[in-house]
Amino acid sequence: MTSFPARNLSNKPDVVPCGVTERKVSPSDKPDMVVLDVISIKDSDAPVHRKKCETDTYVLGTIHPFRRSHRSVLGRFAQEFSLVTSDRRSWRILLFGVLNLICTACLLMWCSSTNSMALTAYTYLTIFDLFSLITCLLSFWVTMKKPSQVYSFGFERFEVLAVFASTVLVQLGALFILKESVERFVEQPEVHTGRLLVGTFVALFFNLLTLLSVKNKPFVFVSEAASTSWLQEHVADLSRSLCGLIPALSSVLLPRMNPFVLINLAGAFALGITYMLIEINNYNAMDTASAMAIALMIFGTMYPMSVYSGKVLLQTTPSHVIGQLDKLLREVSTLDGVLEVRNEHFWTIGFGSLAGSVHVRIRRDADEQMVLAHVTNRLNTLVSTLTVQIFKDDWARHSLTSSTLPTGSLSLSEYVTSAAFPPVMSKQHDESNPATSTPAKPSSPPPEFSFNTPGKHVQPVVFQTAHQHRPFNAPLSYGMSPYSSMLNQGFAHPSDGPAMRLGFGVGTRMPSVQGYRTVNAAPHRYGSSLPSSQTGQQRP
Amino acid sequence: MDEKYSSNVISGGKLGRVEAPNARLTRYIVLLYFTKLLKAFGIFESYDLLKVVHIVQFLFILKMGCAVILIFFQKPFSSGKMIPKRQVWIKILKHAVMSCIISLLGFFGLTLCGPLRTLLLFEHSDLVVISLLSVLFTSSGGGPSKTRGAAFFIIAVICLLLFDNDDLMAKMAEHPEGHHDSALTHALYTGIAFLGVADHKGGVVLLVLALCLKVAFNTASRKLSVEIGGTKRLYALSNLVSAVVLLPWVIVLSATTESKVESWSGLILPFAMIIFSVMILDFYVESICMAKLETSRCARYGSISLFLGGLLLANFWTHPLTDQLRAVSNPVHQSSTEHVLSGGVLVSACFFIMADSILSAPSSKGQKGTLVGYSPEGTPLYNFMGDALQHTSQSLPRFIKDSLKQILEEYDSRQIFYFLCLNLAFTFVELFYGVWTNSLGLISDGFHMLFDCSALVLGLFAALMTRWKATRIYSYGYGRVEILSGFINGLFLMVIAFFVFVESVTRLIDPPNINTDMLTPVSVGGLLVNLVGICAFSHAHSHGASKGSCSGHDHGHGHGSAEHSHGGHGHSHGGHGHSHGHGHSHGSAGEGMNANMRGVYLHVLADTLGSVGVIISTILIRQFGWLIADPICSLFIATLIFLSVIPLLKDACEVLLLRTPPQHEKDLNFALEKIQKIEGVLSYRDPHVWRHSASVIAGTIHLQLMSDVVEQRVIQQVSAVLKDAGVNNLTIQLEKEAYFQHMSGLSTGFHEVLTMTQQMESMKYYKDGTCIM
Repeated sequence: MTSFPARNLSNKPDVVPCGVTERKVSPSDKPDMVVLDVISIKDSDAPVHRKKCETDTYVLGTIHPFRRSHRSVLGRFAQEFSLVTSDRRSWRILLFGVLNLICTACLLMWCSSTNSMALTAYTYLTIFDLFSLITCLLSFWVTMKKPSQVYSFGFERFEVLAVFASTVLVQLGALFILKESVERFVEQPEVHTGRLLVGTFVALFFNLLTLLSVKNKPFVFVSEAASTSWLQEHVADLSRSLCGLIPALSSVLLPRMNPFVLINLAGAFALGITYMLIEINNYNAMDTASAMAIALMIFGTMYPMSVYSGKVLLQTTPSHVIGQLDKLLREVSTLDGVLEVRNEHFWTIGFGSLAGSVHVRIRRDADEQMVLAHVTNRLNTLVSTLTVQIFKDDWARHSLTSSTLPTGSLSLSEYVTSAAFPPVMSKQHDESNPATSTPAKPSSPPPEFSFNTPGKHVQPVVFQTAHQHRPFNAPLSYGMSPYSSMLNQGFAHPSDGPAMRLGFGVGTRMPSVQGYRTVNAAPHRYGSSLPSSQTGQQRP
Repeated sequence: MDEKYSSNVISGGKLGRVEAPNARLTRYIVLLYFTKLLKAFGIFESYDLLKVVHIVQFLFILKMGCAVILIFFQKPFSSGKMIPKRQVWIKILKHAVMSCIISLLGFFGLTLCGPLRTLLLFEHSDLVVISLLSVLFTSSGGGPSKTRGAAFFIIAVICLLLFDNDDLMAKMAEHPEGHHDSALTHALYTGIAFLGVADHKGGVVLLVLALCLKVAFNTASRKLSVEIGGTKRLYALSNLVSAVVLLPWVIVLSATTESKVESWSGLILPFAMIIFSVMILDFYVESICMAKLETSRCARYGSISLFLGGLLLANFWTHPLTDQLRAVSNPVHQSSTEHVLSGGVLVSACFFIMADSILSAPSSKGQKGTLVGYSPEGTPLYNFMGDALQHTSQSLPRFIKDSLKQILEEYDSRQIFYFLCLNLAFTFVELFYGVWTNSLGLISDGFHMLFDCSALVLGLFAALMTRWKATRIYSYGYGRVEILSGFINGLFLMVIAFFVFVESVTRLIDPPNINTDMLTPVSVGGLLVNLVGICAFSHAHSHGASKGSCSGHDHGHGHGSAEHSHGGHGHSHGGHGHSHGHGHSHGSAGEGMNANMRGVYLHVLADTLGSVGVIISTILIRQFGWLIADPICSLFIATLIFLSVIPLLKDACEVLLLRTPPQHEKDLNFALEKIQKIEGVLSYRDPHVWRHSASVIAGTIHLQLMSDVVEQRVIQQVSAVLKDAGVNNLTIQLEKEAYFQHMSGLSTGFHEVLTMTQQMESMKYYKDGTCIM
């Protein structure tokens, strides 16, 4: 209902199109006209983007219209609108939108004529349907758009924001109803039942028609992905006990109910009871009570959805992928050369696609591109937009040797460099922060990484002392993978380190903790010799 | 018994209750039904008796008769161990006094609201009440069904309170001092009259209280019954003691007041009936059924049969057929229709029956565990500690103290908190004054203020949450909550403006007559409160901005560009009236800084505008009689609110949609050009920069390098360049040709290989041709 003025305004654009707009108006029927200036990322200058951003925010304005101040924006909106309407599927949505507007207008009139709060609350569901139709249009538009420079992740987030905004708006409307109802409890006005039942059935019919005949992708997704509302839980509980009595109904009742259908039916039921009670006993207070009940049901239904979409907007890691992510990160941390995985941020862009960034710290002699390729390969299965930063401590010193070496080949020079390193390391110890490194470590890595190192520094030790043990390398590293990964998930406490190290040291016949700390250079031999064999193993 | 053990918990693998065969239990159930019917009958009977017999006398006779019979059957003095100690006798005395008080309350409630309502309210088993209370006051209620049961129970009580048009209410109102003639009943009556409710409703409240007391009393007396040696023995002794306790009171009463009873001999039969059905048979049968059936079943069948019996009897009690029965007890009683069935009682009886059957059902669900984490093998680990345990670990006062301390720590939340307190104080003063003077306008304005306070509460909560530490799920920290809260507050204002708009349009069509007397002082008061808020928050704005610019060293760049864009905005929006310009300039100054505070500030601003509008329209109406001034004023205000919210919404949307921050855009373009000029960098792709929260600007970029460059050096250079552009949470992926080779080796998919080779081709082209742009 709220967007009605905006549409009206947009149909007669009183715009003075600026340079960019003119260019875009002419091919307005071509769906991918936007790509024109999206591809040329580098030479696009600031004014273009300012224009674009205003358009984009305005399209969002279908949810909260009345942005009259941006006059040129209206033209952009009209243009994007015509882009969407070029698709025949959207005509259907527009038709339903018009029907919905008529229905809402009728209902609002009846609301004021019956003076019924419950019908008003029920009308808000119709308005919500309008919002969901707009969201559906928006999701069509989103599929046509490609990522631009300012919206570099693409436009999928518009869907999320639209879902969030519409659920929050309806909840605010319900809050308003609650407030009005409390005021009405103080003094209950009379309710005329004349149009009450008619209004209920008209609204129910239109709502169900809209819900069931329009395929609303974003809302269907959210209603399935979000946690169940209390209304759904209660209905599920009731129907479970009902199915205990009549097992034949189980196919109808047991699957998860669509929350929107449910709230529409429940609201109509409440209104029916209200009508009966007012007709028979003249209990006018029932109207207020059922208005409150409908408002509470709206809260119950919309709250999980707004929480879900709000969490997407807050860039949180979706809780259902945390298990998978942990598993992948554990695998990554067992890759050869990887010391730790940190600063991991994973979040969803739109509904579904995961984005993320991760910092991987590797041994100084490990091959960065190799590790990068492996990490990317692992995580790509889950995270589509991935950025991995490979990190080395103390790279300046090591770069002298590693840059000259071809990757994946074992050469004698490695031994030479490794032999040359110990003094360097001991010098480095002097610089390290005494607060973060324990005295038991004669040569600890730079302070900022000191806490998480042990899990990986263990491996070289084995081969330093007993070179013939090399065949055991792979089983060992994989065997301890769960534990080291737990350390490397970024939340490990520094105190976990020594215990781990000690346990492993005993297992591999290493008597002292200092032993392998001092021979920090040993990885050179091991690390650079292995990649060729490791690659084969890690291949899925 | 054999089946009971054969379907053992462990061997059967079925956790839960063990079902006994139904056929065996049927007789107990029938017995229970019969007893409960008799009890209902007895309570109806006692209601009639109470009209003639004084309540204390009645209770004394009941206790006395019960004690005599029980001592005869139970022989508490001769059988079992003796009770030597004095302390135990004192405990029994206490028990007796408590039971006297509870029965007095119960029977008094009976006189107030009639037998059926008493049955419905008072005769719930302990199990039902305990599970009701656990749903209401602890978070581990036991699933949705229990919640439903509790809701039904509350609805039923509310139905009795509100929708029950009892005829007696009118009658009682005529002669409230009618037939109570003792100090006790008088005190209770005055107590109920003080509450300001009708007698019948007072009875409902009294009975609910008595029910809770009864449950607490039963639970407490369980220990005592073990100490004494059996519930039955305790019951017998307690009845005896209470009869002794009541004796002096009865003597005094019978000495001072003359009895309304003509012949006590005519009452012997009904008294015997009541003693037998209400006191003795019920007690014995219930204890037997408790032993044979499960508690839950016993409670369910018992209460349902009681309620049904009550409904049945209530239907027939006033019937002519039963007149002779009543004539025995009370020959002079006029046959009026008091406490008859009404729609409300029927509905509430249905709800009570449903609530009892749901609440007394054993909870089938086990404890719900909370996910703690994952084991090394990847299986999820759950924590089965009850929620109650975690709740008790932090006491409420301590929680309040902690959160208050947190609130007062930071400037923003402190400001919001103080203003919220001020607002709430004003609201409650207004509400109380409105109730006092019975002014509906004041009350509705008070509710409106409360409605507005919700926005403040939201802002306060967001300001608190922003400082929470980053977790696994919120990996960047909670800073973004602030922006979301600002967005919600913006939507809230939109909704308010929309409602004001609609309201004013309807008033424009049909201007109502407004009583302006009350409006002026209220709106002036509101204006004053909101002006304080505006001062506080505008100060907070400048404070926040200045603090931001001095503390964040990486904000230096961003600040300059923010000013620039502010200028631009000012140009485009210049001319929306003074107040709007004011709000907007503030908004732009804090652009991206603190959306939450901006939202709260706009809220206060909108409220102020509302007060100003009311004052102006009042003056206009008083001076010139322009009734149309009010809707025009509110139209104007609605428009102003719209216009002032737009920038907030726009900024919040941009952040939520992960747009490249506009004030950093130029710097970023510049920085990207710089990055391309770094030695060894071939090209870049997927540069994403977005503002996560007020202080965090995150960015990711992929760079293609020549194969002979040291990656870490490039990382250092690139991150230095981007840090200058304002990005402070950066991830850089450096790709050389080897990476694409590895990737094509690793990836088995054809398409991936294709894209990788294409990318490699492009890199080769760069290398062969112009190496660096």
